[in-house]
Amino acid sequence: MWRRSLSAGYARAACRAAGAKRFWDLLTVRTCSAPALPAGRITALQAVDVWRRHYEERGVSEPEHSSSYIIAHLLGAKTIESLDRGSLTEFLTRDKLEQVWRLCSRRLTRMPVQYVIEEWDFRDLTLMMRPPVFIPRPETEELVELVLTDMKKQPDTQSTCLEVGCGSGAISLSLLMALPQLKAVALDQSQAAVDLTMENALRLGLQDRLQVYHVDVIKDAETALRLCESVSVLVSNPPYLFTEDMASLEPEVLRFEDRSALDGGKDGLNVIRQILTLAPQILSNHGRVYLEVDPRHPPLIQAWVEARVDGLHYVETRHDITGRPRFCTLQKDTQVKSHRDRLGLRN
Amino acid sequence: MSTFLSIISCMTCVSSRVLWRSSSSICPLFKPVPTGLTAVWAAGKKDLVDVPVLKEDELEEQFVRGSGPGGQATNKTSNCVVLKHIPTGIVVKCHQTRSVDINRKRAREILREKVDVAYKGELSEVLVKKKDSVLRKQEKRRKANENLERKKQYKEILAAESNSGNDTV
Repeated sequence: MWRRSLSAGYARAACRAAGAKRFWDLLTVRTCSAPALPAGRITALQAVDVWRRHYEERGVSEPEHSSSYIIAHLLGAKTIESLDRGSLTEFLTRDKLEQVWRLCSRRLTRMPVQYVIEEWDFRDLTLMMRPPVFIPRPETEELVELVLTDMKKQPDTQSTCLEVGCGSGAISLSLLMALPQLKAVALDQSQAAVDLTMENALRLGLQDRLQVYHVDVIKDAETALRLCESVSVLVSNPPYLFTEDMASLEPEVLRFEDRSALDGGKDGLNVIRQILTLAPQILSNHGRVYLEVDPRHPPLIQAWVEARVDGLHYVETRHDITGRPRFCTLQKDTQVKSHRDRLGLRN
Repeated sequence: MSTFLSIISCMTCVSSRVLWRSSSSICPLFKPVPTGLTAVWAAGKKDLVDVPVLKEDELEEQFVRGSGPGGQATNKTSNCVVLKHIPTGIVVKCHQTRSVDINRKRAREILREKVDVAYKGELSEVLVKKKDSVLRKQEKRRKANENLERKKQYKEILAAESNSGNDTV
């Protein structure tokens, strides 16, 4: 009865509202466990609708976006909008339907879409994503734009940049892609992040210009300093959340992403302070530091650097698209004190 | 359906607190044009081929601002960009890619073309009207000449007939 009713429903439904209502009546949704696969055939668009509903009923955030992105990905596209009407309205094969159900079910655990489909885009790059390596945020695209704008003003034939906390490699790989003359060194305290960055570098053919190291800049500062000499740019999206804010994070972030990629300590500045402490020794003259930070940080960073870091001066604060103070630019002064003096500085 | 979906997806961005903001602190994606769009009007020549560049301070970007610090604290996949050109009021939406940065750039390209059409559209209307009146005048002149020619021939025929008539009588 189920099968017959379903196919009878589809024969009349097409995309009309009346048909859709009948379709929903026939499709029983069990709220306790993973939704059952439909016995009959459905189209991609219908699958998007089914899963949007499932997500809504279970309080999964961004229900429409989630189902659209996952299903588009399974149909070989990045967005549902880029698929032609034909692909969206033809029946999914049984195999494809099972894939849809398997991936969409993962999202029910609040797994981020990027981990469900194992990839995401950052500017013009497509990068592999894998838990628990930190997923690049849209704000960080603006950080890259900021760095590129400055770097293009001074076309250096051979320059090197250093990234602290590379995660999936988004920042370094974007810079390398945009500047063919650039070389990059990337560090991360997570082996998983180092592996993923290298994997993404290989996929993009950028492995020859990128060196990735498993280093904790706080625990192993000496190694970090040894690996980098005279870089013109130091860029980082370091963990900058306040420890007390960690508990209230949405499940997508709290359950799946590496906490050490997020937690910046009591005031969110632990890693930032270390980066700025090391910066004068890592940077060449007039070299710059670019940081993505918490909106509360810029004035704190400026005050701290002016009081505690010789050889580094605060240049400017830039805002992100939502109007929050988000990016700090600092520059190395011409006067450089000795290596020993720098290591003596404490928070 | 794709329009429906993009409206839906844009509505989800609009359902949170929505604000308009002038893009000022992001590095400009376009170089500012000193004379702006007035250059198109002032020149009025056919050889001014360049599509006018948009000035960032004439643009307003709509964004969804959630609570909290944003950035690392949240992972959202919605990236619909809504961009308004203040002088003309033209609004474009872009949800083409999974990158906010790319969507912002594309929105600017689309908006730039639409603004260009809005301005050039008026210009070309003027040109078309001008051309029409010129053609009409030419047509009028041609007809007038034709009439003159016909009258002349008629006169000649009349003259020829009266001559031959005289001969036979």
